[in-house]
Amino acid sequence: MLDKRTTAKTFRGVPFPYRLLAPMIILLVAVLIYPLLFSLWISLHDYTLTRLQDVRFVGLANYLGLLRNDDYWTAMRNTVTFVVLAVGLEFLLGFSLALLLQRRLPFRDVFRSVLLTPMFITPIAVGLMFRFLLNSQLGIIPYILREGLGISVDWFGPRLALYSIILIDVWQWTPFMLLLLLAGLESLPKEPFEAARVDGVSGWQMIRHITLPLMRPIIMAAIIIRMLDAFKVFEYVYAITRGGPGNRTEVIQYHIYRVGFRFFRMGEAAAMAYTLVLVMLVLTIALVYAMRKEVTS
Amino acid sequence: MRGKTRYTLFALLIVLALAVGACAGATPTPKPAAQPTKAPAQPAAEQVTLTIIMEEVPDYDIVAKLAPKFEAEHPNIKIKFDAMPYDAMRDKILTSFMAPEATYDIIIVDNPWMDEFSLADFLTPLDDYIAQTPGYDFNDFVAPIREIGVVNGKIYGVPYYNYALGLIVRQDIFDEKGIQVPTTLEDYLNTVQSLTDENKSFYGAAMQPQRGYKIFEEWKNWLYAAGGNLMDEQGNVILDNDAGKRALSMYIEAYNTAAPPNSLNWGFDEALRSMASGQAATMLSYNWMLPTLNNSEGPAGDLAGKFALYPVPGGKAVLGAWHWAIPHNSKNKDAAWAFISWLTSKEVDKERVIMGGAPTRASVMNDPEVWEKGYGKDYYQTVLKILDNSEPLARGPKAEEIIQVVGTELNAAVAGEKSVDQALKDAADKVREIVGRK
Repeated sequence: MLDKRTTAKTFRGVPFPYRLLAPMIILLVAVLIYPLLFSLWISLHDYTLTRLQDVRFVGLANYLGLLRNDDYWTAMRNTVTFVVLAVGLEFLLGFSLALLLQRRLPFRDVFRSVLLTPMFITPIAVGLMFRFLLNSQLGIIPYILREGLGISVDWFGPRLALYSIILIDVWQWTPFMLLLLLAGLESLPKEPFEAARVDGVSGWQMIRHITLPLMRPIIMAAIIIRMLDAFKVFEYVYAITRGGPGNRTEVIQYHIYRVGFRFFRMGEAAAMAYTLVLVMLVLTIALVYAMRKEVTS
Repeated sequence: MRGKTRYTLFALLIVLALAVGACAGATPTPKPAAQPTKAPAQPAAEQVTLTIIMEEVPDYDIVAKLAPKFEAEHPNIKIKFDAMPYDAMRDKILTSFMAPEATYDIIIVDNPWMDEFSLADFLTPLDDYIAQTPGYDFNDFVAPIREIGVVNGKIYGVPYYNYALGLIVRQDIFDEKGIQVPTTLEDYLNTVQSLTDENKSFYGAAMQPQRGYKIFEEWKNWLYAAGGNLMDEQGNVILDNDAGKRALSMYIEAYNTAAPPNSLNWGFDEALRSMASGQAATMLSYNWMLPTLNNSEGPAGDLAGKFALYPVPGGKAVLGAWHWAIPHNSKNKDAAWAFISWLTSKEVDKERVIMGGAPTRASVMNDPEVWEKGYGKDYYQTVLKILDNSEPLARGPKAEEIIQVVGTELNAAVAGEKSVDQALKDAADKVREIVGRK
C-alpha cells in the first residue's frame, strides 16, 4: 500500500509540469502508442486470427508480398484517383461558394447553414441514402432522368461507379471545405483589396493576384486535411458497391478490412495499413510545414 | 537539466509502452479453482441465461416465437437473442471465440465458415451430446445439409435451416405460351431469351451478378449444369476448364440478352423485387422465396399464386445452410445443447417448418400434416428433391475468401472488364494460391 507521503516521494524527481501531464501521457500510450506498436509487430508476423497458436515471425515478407499483389495496387490506384478527384472538386466548389458567400447577399446566413447540413450526417447514412437515390430500379434520380430527359445512366455500373462514389463524397464534404475557406477569406486584411480597387483592378485579377496568394497557406491546410480524411473512405463503398463492379471501387481501407476482418489475415492487413500510415505521414508533415509557413509569413 | 528530464520522460514512455504491451500480450494464466467444492454443484437448480447470436431474417422470427415454449419447459434456462445483420456477424462471433469468456453460448454458423471454425478448434464436438439424446435421429437431416456440419469425422454443427437454390418461374406465362420449364443449361438460355421482350420491359431472367457472394452463389449452379466444379475430387482447382468457360460464357450471354438492364449490382433482394413486380419470368433463388412470392399479402400482390418452384437447370443445386454450434469457450454447454436439441428435435422442427421455417429434416418434408398446414405437398417434395441433389457453396477452411475472390473475377467478366478466359484463369490462380497458403 502506498500512502500519500511515499507517493509524493516517488514523484519528487519529476518536474511539476510533467506530473500534470502524466495522466494524459499514460492515456495516449494506452490507446494510441501501444496499439500502433502492436500492429507494427503484427505486420512483421504471419498472424492469422484462426491460427493464433501458430504465429511466426516473417520479417518484411508481408511488405514485400504487397509489391506483387495486384489487388493492393488496384486498391491504392482507386484510392488515389478518389482522393485527387474528390478533393479537387471539393476545393473548386468550396472556394467558389466561399467567394459567393463572402459577399453581402440577402439571406446569407440561411444559405450558409443550409449549405453546411450534409456535413452533419454520418457517412454510412449518406451511403445508404445514395444507394437508394441512385438505384436504377427504385431511385428517384434515375427515374427523373429516364422519364424527364430520356437518359438512362447506370450510376454503379463499371464505367461510373468510382465517379459516383466521388460525387457522393463531394456532396458531403464540400461544406467542410467551404467552412474553412470562408473563415480564411474573412480573416484576410482589407487593405490590399482596397488599394487594388483604387488602382482599377478587375474582379478576376483580384482573385488571381491577391486572394489566392494570401489564401495559400489556408488552402494548403484545407486541402491536406480533406486529403487525410479522404484516404479513409470506407462507408460509401461498404454501403453501396462492396468494391465492385469487378475491382472498380475497391479502395484501400475496404481492402484492408476484407483481408483483416473477413479473411482474418491480420499480418498482411497490418502491413497494408502501415504503408497507408506512411502516405498519411508524408501528408501530415506537409500540413505542419504549410501551417508553420502561415505563421511566419 | 532540461535535456535530462526530457530523456527521463522518453525512457518512462518506453517503459510504459512495454509494460502495457506485456500485460496485454501475456497469455492469461489459468485461474486457480475458486473454492474447494464442498458439495457437488447442482446444475439443475442453477439459473442459466443462454445468449444466442442470430441473423435478422424471417427464420429467426420463428425461432424467437418458439423460444418461450422452451423456457416454460426449462424454468432454469433463459434465452437471450442478439439478432443483427449478416455483415456484423462474422467479426462478432470471432471476437466471442477469442474472449476468455464467450459472449455467445450458442452461435449459428454459415456454410462457408464451418470448416474454418471447426479446424481452428473454436467449436465443441457434438457427437457425445447427440448420442446421449434419445430419439434425436441425426440421420433424418437430409444428407448434404447434415454433412456440412461434419468435419474430419466429428459433428460440429446441427442444421438450422437450408438455403438451397431452385428455379422459380412464372408458371402462368409458361402455361400460356405452352413452353416446358427448362431442365438443361441450353434450354434455359434459349427459354429466357425467347421470353424477353425489351419493348415491354419484360425479361426472361432476373439475375444476381453482384460482386462476391451473390454471383458466386448463382453462377455455381450454371457451373454444375455445365459439368464443372470449383475443384475435383482430389482437390485440384478445375474452375478454369472448358466446362467453367462454357458456364461463364452462357451466364454472360444470359445477362446481356435476357436480364433487366443495369442490374450488374443486383443481389437476391433486387431480383426478388423484379420478379414480384412482374418484370421477369424466372430467377435462380433460395427455394423458400416461393412461399414469399405466392403470399397474397407479400411483395407480389396480384401475381401471388402464379409462381412455381423447380430444381435448377441441370438438376444439381448449390446448397447453403446455417448450423447451430456451441463455441469451445461457452460456460453453459449442457444448457446450450438442451436448447439446440429441443429446437431441432423432430417435433419442434415440424412446428418450426409449419410456421414457415426452411426445412432440413426428411421426416418433416414427408409429413402430410406439414403439407396440409404448410405450403402443400408439391412444395416440400420439390425442396426435398432439390436438397437431395445439392452440393455446398464451398468447403474448406478458406471458403469465405475463395467465394469473395472468385465472385470478384466473375463479376469483372460480366462487366466486360475481363475476357471469360482471363477472368477464370485469374480466379483459378488466386484459388490455388489461397489453398496453397498455410
